[in-house]
Amino acid sequence: MMEGQINGHDYDVIVVGSGAGGAMAAYTLTKSGRKVLMLEAGRDYDPKTETPMFKSNFDAPLLGAGNSDKDFGFYDATVDGGWEVPGEPYTKGEGSEFLWWRARMLGGRTNHWGRYSLRFSEHDFKGFSRDGLGADWPFEYWDLAPWYDETEALVGICGTNTGLDDMPDSPEGVLQPPPKPRVPELLVSAAAKKLGIPTAPMHRAVLTRPKDDRQACFYATPCGRGCSIGAAFQTTTSLIPMAQATGLLTVITDAMVKEVNVDEKGKVNALTYIDKKTKQAHRLDAKVIILAASACESARILLNSKSESHPNGLANSSGHVGRNIMDSTGVSYGAHIPALEGRPKYNEDGHTANHLFIPWWGHKVQEKKAMAFPRGYHFEIGSGFRAPSSWVSGDLDGYGKPLKEIAKQAYGSYVGLALRGEMLPNDDCYMEIDEDVKDKWGIPVVKFHWKWSQHELKQVEHGLKTARQILETMGAKFDKPLPKAEDAILKGGQIIHEVGSTRMGDSPTESVTNQWGQTWDCSNLFVMDAGVFASNPHKNCTLTIMTLAMRNSTWLARQLDKGEL
Amino acid sequence: MSLVKRYSSKKPYLASLSRRDAIKWIGALSVTAAFPGLTACSSQALAPQSELAKGHWPQLELPVINATGYGKDPNLIIAPRASWPRTLTAAQLTFIAIFADIVAPREGSVPSASEVKVPDLLDEWVSAPYERQQQDRVSFLHLLAWLDEEARRRFDNLFVDVTASQQLAIIDDIAYKKAMQSEEFVRPAKAFADFRRLVLACFFCSPAGVKDIGYLGNVPIVGDYPGPSDEAMTHLQGVLDELGLTL
Repeated sequence: MMEGQINGHDYDVIVVGSGAGGAMAAYTLTKSGRKVLMLEAGRDYDPKTETPMFKSNFDAPLLGAGNSDKDFGFYDATVDGGWEVPGEPYTKGEGSEFLWWRARMLGGRTNHWGRYSLRFSEHDFKGFSRDGLGADWPFEYWDLAPWYDETEALVGICGTNTGLDDMPDSPEGVLQPPPKPRVPELLVSAAAKKLGIPTAPMHRAVLTRPKDDRQACFYATPCGRGCSIGAAFQTTTSLIPMAQATGLLTVITDAMVKEVNVDEKGKVNALTYIDKKTKQAHRLDAKVIILAASACESARILLNSKSESHPNGLANSSGHVGRNIMDSTGVSYGAHIPALEGRPKYNEDGHTANHLFIPWWGHKVQEKKAMAFPRGYHFEIGSGFRAPSSWVSGDLDGYGKPLKEIAKQAYGSYVGLALRGEMLPNDDCYMEIDEDVKDKWGIPVVKFHWKWSQHELKQVEHGLKTARQILETMGAKFDKPLPKAEDAILKGGQIIHEVGSTRMGDSPTESVTNQWGQTWDCSNLFVMDAGVFASNPHKNCTLTIMTLAMRNSTWLARQLDKGEL
Repeated sequence: MSLVKRYSSKKPYLASLSRRDAIKWIGALSVTAAFPGLTACSSQALAPQSELAKGHWPQLELPVINATGYGKDPNLIIAPRASWPRTLTAAQLTFIAIFADIVAPREGSVPSASEVKVPDLLDEWVSAPYERQQQDRVSFLHLLAWLDEEARRRFDNLFVDVTASQQLAIIDDIAYKKAMQSEEFVRPAKAFADFRRLVLACFFCSPAGVKDIGYLGNVPIVGDYPGPSDEAMTHLQGVLDELGLTL
């Protein structure tokens, strides 16, 4: 994609990263007439020609099962990435477990994500004010609401307005209609209702009506493989081509950013990247830089950008770069539901993820301080007549025809509830640079430190009990006690919702950026990925990353107009 | 179930072979022993012999699989069919074919596991250089050796060459949950359970198996997703009534 000599000064803004934040920033800026250069560390990627849409697991090696090469299965859209990237290690402090997911490809993690797109609510932005823990965001829900409206309309989100206090409504006409719920989801809904817990259509970045040159979902093929028809949102079929259509976007792939450079006054004036194909370092002049490389990668770049004026790393006068990392809490609990055995077959693919889910229902109880933990969680429902894979459900016994009958009866009778909950920042969860280890590009790597606190463990304990109650109400029988929260909770980073490494705030001593993602220390350096999140509500982060990137790059464009940058 | 034997050492299972594999296979045919190259070593065995007082469990030394995988960026459109070399011998494939057909035999027009090439998939599986597959490989190869030991002990012949009813007599002892309570059968029964699930998975993934289990998806729908059929909703209503629940 690189043509001739690139001169960074030819561009108004250099964006590092092509995922949710970077692509939305590039789209917003090019639409407002700015010339943008985008650097992506991974390879070029075209979902239109590379997505294995209708392939069956039988066509794949090992029935498509996941392994260390393809963690989420052979056909997962993530290429050249995963928990481990060859030649790009990370280390962990003693006693710490952390998994760092990276997608080294154009479009980043948007190519394979779950596409759950829930707005954060007013509770979510003011956690500290509510319970004295963590930090508030430097604005209110209502400041962000119009930007959510615009982002949802641009991206294309299906769902409905529910009136639930955990799910702020969208304006009339913004949301596209959600697909009808499936049988196991309706059964979960009925059981939850008996326990006083509401369910709702999941909001997903999946088109159920055509939009611009993207088609509506045809309810086949797993979204995690990517979507060559553009129905399931990924920046490679939407924001990036739309930004390119303005003629103002240039993309360089295989460009691994090493550091951001500053002038003698400490202001950003360039960045250095390694061209992965030639292994050569290039220095690009820059007027304004947006880091949207993913939370921990952006923080890594900042910490690796040391200079006389920024001895602790760039934009790190607060010492908060790399601190306050949060993931979502994650636990899965499920059961075989006897009443769903041998039920009538129908095509249960739908848009392949949740049609219904269980949003957090406990704000009122928490207001009265009557819950043993702060902050909420939601349940995603796993169920359905899925495409056969390398696992067969059922209490298998014997062989031959009776065995096959057991498997066929059990098909579609398993229901799993996956908890995704809010984690609070704590002093034991942070990243730093490991001075002893470099990646294959010669860049010092990240060292992670991780420990769940009692807040998360108590929340998970509550979630496990609730999941069991719901499943029992559906007729499931359990012969084992509930697992302990510390055994059941998934590892840090495993939910792939890590945020907060460059958090925003009101004060330069307590945060890395202001509310616009502009670093306190360098006015022409911005962060527009999930690093800026001041808290990590239980809701999946991508919609809010995109919304903030749209809002903040709009503000950035105005600052350029005014000559402020 | 028909007790007519589809495979034996005289009627081997024929893998779908590449030219290069075929040469290896012809070479393997001349080997008379079921498990050439397998000798005693406890390093990769499931559990040391001494742990359980009763029963027997082979101690095989299995060469480490150190082939490279398909990598982080394989072609997803034209998928590499086992980019690593397959490692099972013709005798082992025949053994697995018999075994897979006991697990999933032909039923009327629904083909058996071996007819949809499950042994080939299992060869790919146990030859793969990944953690789950390597663990299964150790377990499954020990199970095959155990079955041979057991067939020799009871009927003085290789498992593949005893009669179908003799094969079933052995399988009957390890195929049911109660086998897990009998100390001598704990290990073979556990290995059998894992093998059985994988054989079924391979079978149900095949085009005939997809049909047999009743998966109706992966088909594009024009317009809105129709949701559950009337029949499915009627069934759900019955379930709700029984559980005392309402939508």
